[in-house]
Amino acid sequence: MAINVKVVDRPIDETSYVRATLKGLGNTFKHMIDPHKVTTQYPEQRESISPRWRGTHRMLTTEDGKAKCVACGLCPTVCPANCIKLVPGEDEEGNRYPLVFEIDEFRCIFCGYCQEVCPEEAIHLGRHYENSEYSREGFVYDLERLMAQTHPVCEMWDPADPKGE
Amino acid sequence: MATKRTIDVALSTTGLDREGRPQRVPLVADGSGQVTAMAAPPSLEPELEGEHMLINLGPQHPATHGVLRLVLELDGETVVRCIPHVGYLHCGFEKIGEYRQYNQIIPWTDREDYLNSPGNNIAFALGAERLFGVEITERCTVLRVIALELSRIISHLVWVGTTCIDIGAFTPFLWAFQERENIYNLLEGWVGARLTTSISRVGGMAADIPDGWLDGLRGFLKTFPKTLVEVDKMITRNGIWVGRTIGLGIMTPQDAINYGLSGAMARASGVAWDMRKDFPYLDYETYDFDVPIGVNGDVYDRFLVRMEELRQSVRILEQAVERLPDGPVNVNDPRLILPPKSKATSEMESMIHHFKLVMEGPRPPVGEVYVPVESPKGEKGYYFVSDGTAKPVRWRIRPPSFVNLSAIPKMVEGHLLSDVIAINASIDIVMGEIDR
Ligand code: SF4
Ligand code: SF4
Repeated sequence: MAINVKVVDRPIDETSYVRATLKGLGNTFKHMIDPHKVTTQYPEQRESISPRWRGTHRMLTTEDGKAKCVACGLCPTVCPANCIKLVPGEDEEGNRYPLVFEIDEFRCIFCGYCQEVCPEEAIHLGRHYENSEYSREGFVYDLERLMAQTHPVCEMWDPADPKGE
Repeated sequence: MATKRTIDVALSTTGLDREGRPQRVPLVADGSGQVTAMAAPPSLEPELEGEHMLINLGPQHPATHGVLRLVLELDGETVVRCIPHVGYLHCGFEKIGEYRQYNQIIPWTDREDYLNSPGNNIAFALGAERLFGVEITERCTVLRVIALELSRIISHLVWVGTTCIDIGAFTPFLWAFQERENIYNLLEGWVGARLTTSISRVGGMAADIPDGWLDGLRGFLKTFPKTLVEVDKMITRNGIWVGRTIGLGIMTPQDAINYGLSGAMARASGVAWDMRKDFPYLDYETYDFDVPIGVNGDVYDRFLVRMEELRQSVRILEQAVERLPDGPVNVNDPRLILPPKSKATSEMESMIHHFKLVMEGPRPPVGEVYVPVESPKGEKGYYFVSDGTAKPVRWRIRPPSFVNLSAIPKMVEGHLLSDVIAINASIDIVMGEIDR
């Protein structure tokens, strides 16, 4: 069988105080002069985030500035955190649109299921992570706020990224 | 102050004389440097009145790794008894799961053992797939092994780092977290999240790996062993580290089995018990790797075993990268898997299928399954009972940390208060998993 059992050896005889301390110090100094820096000086420097990043939501719009959402009700159904509130409406021509569409970004767990199921590619997660508000109410994003976001969107579950389903 | 309760507790404890006073055990050193107990000398002075003290370690103590509360009964600085209290982080995951479809539970599994989220997601998916009776694709199998081993590395790195801090070494912690950051960057590139990945779905993965991702993984596999060597150099032979860990919290193989220990805890005691070896899943039996076991079952052995497991994980990852086949990731089963987005938005049939699947959810046959996997903490299993609807009737987690924690009263007995920290750290508990 390819899986073997191995008894770990206990190098207790090689234990030392001074030698180990010196070795440790040597290692630390090596890291000090190592030109490869690992600390990012946020907020002056920022790490780039992946195109699949799941962050703050954004509602995409059609060319004439309306939300793409057709109030189909899939995203409120699938949301594991129950944080999407949707009230569907219908205009004169019988087209459905969302009367109320709210996402509570506080309850949201950024799982991305809403984007995964949306048949209109309307609701998207965004490549954005810096959220701050002065009140809890500020975190309930309504349709206008969702449409006004401008950050790039997550590419997973999108025809833009064929490998992501 | 001696309340009635304190005295009651004290009287029921070994190590006390009839009046409830601690028995004195003087320690002397003979020529060999061995410390042995000897018979008490006739006391010249009247013994001082003494009583045991109860203290709370936690629930807000940084060294209890979360919200664990240990009630310790101390005789001087020696622990006479330890009573762990759990439940401060109870969230009711299992109950919530009864109101969610199978795929919707996956984000909840992220949050139980949060150092091992990909591992939990995949363990859950494996259980659900056994219930649905589907076979996953070859590419998916290898991708899952990669994700599982990456999350094992994350979990063990955090363990090594935080245990170093508990015992008093700060530097290895930073090196461990630096490597962990690299893995999180990889996971971010794969599924867009670092900690709460939700990486799997029933019947497949959330997404295939993006182009060029494997090169990133190969790079990581090159640099990571170097860090491992550094951490090893820093502490394995360090007298301070060895002195703080050796001979603490010893569990004999019999004890380990009787307490139901699993994972590195059982293996450090010399019980070669590894789900990957004993109940192979995801074709683990076709990989070349060693299951490390210890001899003494003390904290030092647990450290050695986990360090060796890190090296073995690198070996498994190297083999998995080599053998990753092309092909589909998700099973070709319309009962489970959503149609591709481009089809769902253009073809009527796919659209109807998409709606039906999301609204109603996949339905497994009636039955129950239990599937154990080897999580970094031990045997982690998911148990499902299905009545044929889209939501489980009962869903239960077997949390390895919880079972391993049950041995702490035995392990800390007779040790010093400061050693309780080291022993508690050596169990590698995550409270999210214990309280669920
Ligand atoms: S990301 Fe997940 S939790 Fe957040 S709104 Fe979408 S489905 Fe709900
Ligand atoms: S799934 Fe898409 S179209 Fe349907 S309600 Fe949600 S955002 Fe609107």
